[in-house]
Amino acid sequence: MSLLTVALTRRQAFKAMFGIGSTAISVAMPREAMASEEHPAHPVAPPDAVAMLYDSTLCTGCKACMPACNEANGLAADTLLSGGIWDMPTGLNSQTKNIIELYEDPKSDEFAFVKKQCMHCLDPACVTGCPFGSLAKVEFGAVTWNSSLCIGCRYCEVACPFEVPQFQWESWNPKIVKCEFCYDQRLKEDLQPACTAACPTGAVIFGKRDALLDQAKGRIAAAPDQYYENRVYGEHEAGGTQVLYLSAVSFQKIGLPKLGNTSLGHYATKVTSVIYKWLGGPLLMAGVLGFAIRRNWNRHELERLQHEKETGFPDQL
Amino acid sequence: MNPTSPSSDLRGTTLINHWQAGVPVTTGRVLTPLLAFLMALAAIGLVLAGIRVVSPLGPFSAMNSVYAWGIWKTFNVMTLTALGSGPLALGIAAWVFNRQKLHVVMRTALVSGFLFYATGLIALGFDVGRPWNFYSAAMPWRWNSESAMLEISICMPLYCAVFLSFEILPLFLERLYYTGSAKSQAFLRHISPRIRKAYPFVIIGAYVIPLMHQSSLGGLLLLAGDKVNPLWQSPAMPWLYLIAAALCGFSFTTLLLLIVCLRYGRKLDQDVLTELANLLSGLCFFFLLVRAVDLFWRGQLHRAFALDMMSLLFLLESSLILIPAVALRFRRLRETPRVLLNLSVLACLGGMLYRFIPTSIAYKPMRSTSYFPSAPELVMAVGYISMGIVAFVFAINYFAVLPGEASAWDHAYRPFGWRRRNVAPKTLSLTPVTALERGA
Repeated sequence: MSLLTVALTRRQAFKAMFGIGSTAISVAMPREAMASEEHPAHPVAPPDAVAMLYDSTLCTGCKACMPACNEANGLAADTLLSGGIWDMPTGLNSQTKNIIELYEDPKSDEFAFVKKQCMHCLDPACVTGCPFGSLAKVEFGAVTWNSSLCIGCRYCEVACPFEVPQFQWESWNPKIVKCEFCYDQRLKEDLQPACTAACPTGAVIFGKRDALLDQAKGRIAAAPDQYYENRVYGEHEAGGTQVLYLSAVSFQKIGLPKLGNTSLGHYATKVTSVIYKWLGGPLLMAGVLGFAIRRNWNRHELERLQHEKETGFPDQL
Repeated sequence: MNPTSPSSDLRGTTLINHWQAGVPVTTGRVLTPLLAFLMALAAIGLVLAGIRVVSPLGPFSAMNSVYAWGIWKTFNVMTLTALGSGPLALGIAAWVFNRQKLHVVMRTALVSGFLFYATGLIALGFDVGRPWNFYSAAMPWRWNSESAMLEISICMPLYCAVFLSFEILPLFLERLYYTGSAKSQAFLRHISPRIRKAYPFVIIGAYVIPLMHQSSLGGLLLLAGDKVNPLWQSPAMPWLYLIAAALCGFSFTTLLLLIVCLRYGRKLDQDVLTELANLLSGLCFFFLLVRAVDLFWRGQLHRAFALDMMSLLFLLESSLILIPAVALRFRRLRETPRVLLNLSVLACLGGMLYRFIPTSIAYKPMRSTSYFPSAPELVMAVGYISMGIVAFVFAINYFAVLPGEASAWDHAYRPFGWRRRNVAPKTLSLTPVTALERGA
């Protein structure tokens, strides 16, 4: 009899210990998580991080970068609007990874060109959200897409603050189309991306992120009031990006969103990374629930047997 | 479950305790014209889904790369699984907080929850663009553990296929017991104690896993950042999604019980309905409290009363939850079935609105495109829902789902509307047969 009671108590004691242990772990977790945070609020660029610097004031809108991009990535020209004559996309789409857009103020004669492609964030929201790691930040900080891991959930499109990833809605075997910094095509072979190689005016240049950031700040210092807000877009936006912008007109006017300086990955995972670390939170929850369920279950079983004896009706689960 | 004895009719209403056990519907035709219509809708939806398998998403849906999630994800999954959270909400109330009275309505919650999840997962299966790569789910080294999407894509199918299925298994076994051969009955006598042994352990998973993925559904939108209106975009979103799931679980189970009992002319049970109404009211208040504290904390309270489109939506959503929260505090209202039904509809709508708005109406990317579901998208969404309704109607007709009076359980004569194969219909004696029978 005493053995029986011990067995029951032991199970409960095990549950309790489990619960206390998990509590201790999850209390200890935050400090550990802070020590080696996967998504710091303000990520630091790794030393091998490359970048593009696009200076809107130097761009003449010749669009030489667009066919160069299409050629390097094996993309067909988007000739829908031009009646099959030339490449004429209306924005980034499933066959356009890079585009030059024109901003024109209808009232004044203010205008500016802007080059759109993946921003290669230091802490990309798409990579944080991608369930099976199809999108990944690889060597040099390029954000690439792996066709064999993607399930086509399109969370990257929801997550990306710049609305860059494009899903091939018309394809039976849809891919996510986005600039990958020409990683497979050129970067691996020590070549610069096709767009920067093609640019005749030096509006978009390629280099190490640190060097380009210095260069951009040098340009601002050299011409104090030429650039909007005297700052580089992409230095801090969404935790920092590896494509940097200089512009004479407002960044928002040329279609670069106003973003906070905290990385989205940090915002989205700062609580869950603590709760889910080593499944601490769920295990703790399981321990607590299991303890209560076990107790109520035993009560319930006693009542059930009693009731069956009295009425003859079987209990239903 | 713990059958309650009929209580005295205190207020001269029809609300006395009549729910003692799950009892199948044995009266009336199963296949009504309405059901046939719903089956036709479900069939059309499934045919379209079949065409979708061999066709890209583009021609089917109005989704685009800016509004990448259409109605299948935002409504059939994000919103309707909140209604399908009855097993989670009622289960935790019954088994963890020992609300014994709720055991009798667990089966209704379980079956409806299973069907919401199942149809939602079917919708999801036809929504993803590259389903053939989903085998990665079985390879943990490929998991991106920080992704809320991973948590959902793994836990939802797991919950539906393992935990909910296990919880509704007794329905099937019970039916087999009453209609099967002596051999299968012997097997069931052998297996049911084992199911009872495993049950308390399995239901731990059945509560932890939906707690995880229902909150992750809110966590999904955290990454969307500024695209979601600040009235909804909040670090508290995972918690609010979870509370909204519990709120919808309680209100939808109440609503469903009232509707089907009206439809099949069943008597109601005041004790159980009062329990549900009390819990629902408490959850509504809790939801509003968390919502208000969150808005105040983030300094967005002024937006709530700016009386623009988003603020009006917010006020609509909040008042839909506030009305039942307050009204259900009054005994007179809560004990009138018609009022309770209307209030649970309001609470359902409020919870659904909270789950639906951030993914669709308050989701405003900067690029000026719009999304409104295309006709095939809508037909498929409606088809999935009708499929769930049809399955529910069949379930309550052929299995002991709906609560009823234990004496209505006519074992010997018409078990589930089917004659028992090896027992002569003459043996009409009630208790001697049932005394030995133990449902799983």
